[in-house]
Amino acid sequence: MDLPLLSALFAAFALLLYVVLDGFDLGVGALLLLPSDERVRDRMVDSVVPIWDGNETWLIMAGVTLLAAFPVAYGILLPAFYLPLIVMLLALGLRGVSFEFRMQTERMRRAWDIAFSLGSIVAALMQGLIVGGLIQGIAVDGEHFGGSVFDVFRPFCLLVSLAVLSGYVVLGAGWLHLKGTAALRAFAERILHTAVPAYLGLASVSTAAATLVQPQMLAAWSAHMTLLSAIALLFLLLAITLWRAIGGRSDGRPLFLGLALFVLGIAGLGVAVFPDIVPYRLSLWDAASSSQSQVFVLLGAAIVTPIVLSYSAFAYYVFRGKTPEQGWEI
Amino acid sequence: MSFDPAILARVQFAFTVSFHIIFPTISIGLAMFLAIVEGLWLKTRDPLYFQIYRFWLGIFAMAFGVGVVTGIVLSFEFGLGFAKFGQMAGPAIGPMIALEVLTSFFLEAGFLGIMLFGLNRVGPRLHFFATCMVALGTLFSASWILSANSWMQTPDGVAVQNGHLVVTDWLKVIVNPSWLYRLPHMLAAAYITGSFLVSGVGAWYLLRGEHIEFGKRTVSMGMGFATVLIALQVFLGDILYGTMLKYQPAKMQAAEGFWDKQSESPAPYYWIIVPDQKSQRNRFALGTPYLGSIWLTHSLHGRVEGLGNTPPDLQPQMGIVFYGFRIMYGIAILMFSLAVASLWLRWRGRLFSTRWFLRILVVMTPSGVLATLGGWYVAETGRQPWVIYNILRTADAVSPVPAGVLLSTLIAFVCVYALFMAAFLIFAGRMIKRGPKDAPAYAEASGSLKPALKPGMANGATRNAAVTE
Repeated sequence: MDLPLLSALFAAFALLLYVVLDGFDLGVGALLLLPSDERVRDRMVDSVVPIWDGNETWLIMAGVTLLAAFPVAYGILLPAFYLPLIVMLLALGLRGVSFEFRMQTERMRRAWDIAFSLGSIVAALMQGLIVGGLIQGIAVDGEHFGGSVFDVFRPFCLLVSLAVLSGYVVLGAGWLHLKGTAALRAFAERILHTAVPAYLGLASVSTAAATLVQPQMLAAWSAHMTLLSAIALLFLLLAITLWRAIGGRSDGRPLFLGLALFVLGIAGLGVAVFPDIVPYRLSLWDAASSSQSQVFVLLGAAIVTPIVLSYSAFAYYVFRGKTPEQGWEI
Repeated sequence: MSFDPAILARVQFAFTVSFHIIFPTISIGLAMFLAIVEGLWLKTRDPLYFQIYRFWLGIFAMAFGVGVVTGIVLSFEFGLGFAKFGQMAGPAIGPMIALEVLTSFFLEAGFLGIMLFGLNRVGPRLHFFATCMVALGTLFSASWILSANSWMQTPDGVAVQNGHLVVTDWLKVIVNPSWLYRLPHMLAAAYITGSFLVSGVGAWYLLRGEHIEFGKRTVSMGMGFATVLIALQVFLGDILYGTMLKYQPAKMQAAEGFWDKQSESPAPYYWIIVPDQKSQRNRFALGTPYLGSIWLTHSLHGRVEGLGNTPPDLQPQMGIVFYGFRIMYGIAILMFSLAVASLWLRWRGRLFSTRWFLRILVVMTPSGVLATLGGWYVAETGRQPWVIYNILRTADAVSPVPAGVLLSTLIAFVCVYALFMAAFLIFAGRMIKRGPKDAPAYAEASGSLKPALKPGMANGATRNAAVTE
């Protein structure tokens, strides 16, 4: 059995779940900057507070799977993305503690909400920078990172980071469309009307720009023309469907279509860089740890992941429906 | 000005990990305490237990939150600051941490929401289950991370092939020689930390004459747990001391403050030293005569082995290991004395009225955290110059990141973490000052509380009052 491939699939699965799940709660966080009505902001935070921690855990899962199964890639990629990762971790930290601390104060709540929001925005931007950096390619020297930690701050990467932020905003607004009532639902609709075209535009420009900054991307397009075109076409169709679902009778449709957009985006990226784990430099087989380590992770994942998914789903089920106006207070 | 990237990477890791460990220590201890208290509430239906639960849940939630966000940082720092460590140790510790994420982080995160916000939705029984799952998650987490860290202390079950580690025996990697002793030691430390935290706050209320019933119950429970646990801890610590002496003699030699291969006879027990690593001697040393021989060799004239038995380039820095050990050990002695005193006072029926004792308990509120930090400093600085003992030196593990960048991110960490700590202390202080809220009327109801807790018009007013408070 091809163990490194299975491990890579598991890492991709964790990363995908992270992006779509934390994507919507980071999006909600980013939007927290806008409403001036404190009650609306309280509802926004209440809608994600019981489940955000589980969402973010998928990021650790993806990172640690990389460490366990592809330690060589881990040792190259983390120093390469040193700055965006540290800034992202600090931003996620600021946002994470704001969940707790904003509830503790009346007077300073707005300040914590701003920290919450900036933390979410910066975390999203840094994740975008990393994706951009991966697409553009990084310098590798043997088994080590061979470039400068500032390499990632390039125009293309900044473009991708804006695309990721706009995508998270679409997911966040989609979530509020599902969970919000009255003023909050109307707010979500207004945001979606702006964010969906922005996301579609930025994602398209990024995709086009990728072929300009990285010839390997052009090569990938010619190698997988049909598949990648199909993905791009489907992306466009779903984005239009999403646009038409805003304000519609189904509360959840915009969110689920937004999630589908992210799945397509990541699938497209996966097709383009496969089978490299450090794009264009190192294949997943060359970066893999020995089979004993792979087997341990995969067995653990095979046994425990279904349990994790079922009680995580249960947590979502407990807090299903519209977020109550009076909060969750015990 | 020029800095050594290796030093900066280490200072950054030391700062972030030291800051982090404070919060899991508190939340491991409080999670277990909350599970016990909620269990007692369900069993006895005594609303006082529910009041205690709600009060400590608030502080637990904040500590847990800070612990989560500072913990995420660590899982990336293995590669950010120490890329070679990640590449080398990844095959061994990576799968263990992956299993930690799967078996404990998700368990905690999945049930934390229900624990904090779900009582109205799931009813008390399922809510108790959620609390237990969170407590179990913290326990699993401690177990895996101690296994990974113990493997770095006493690596086993691996072979080096072409510069990469290959696991030859997973059982030996996980159940490595020091894990079985270090895990219970850390768990006991966390539970003791929780016990003194709970006792200290309760004692403060008793001294101020507020929330008397709450204060009495928590001091009684806290000191009860502390008494049993500290006795156990002294025993566990002693076994661990012997284990580490066998596997990492340099660490324990540094912890006792002697330089010569054999100390004088009889050996004193040092309390204060000013070590001079370069000339391999103490510039100043103050100790109790004979006590070193008695405690460390269990004889009146025994000689204690000094750091001179280890070549200078393989020695840890004596000062930090010594003082880490003294802080942990000193606090443990204090705790043990308090536990004995509490037994006496309890027997005489004066546990809640002896003011000097309550005052000491207030001062001891954060003592468990300090002792735990001291212990981790012994463990981690005493392992130096190795990051994986006898396999990889810390200096060889550092990432290719320039010193200036490391310094900037270190400053950023210090600023952001200072904000976290300040906010945590201010808000926890306010919660303690405000005191526990009266238990709502429904806490006394017998049988299932679900109907009483169903969101509806009847109790809408009280619920809104709770929100605005």
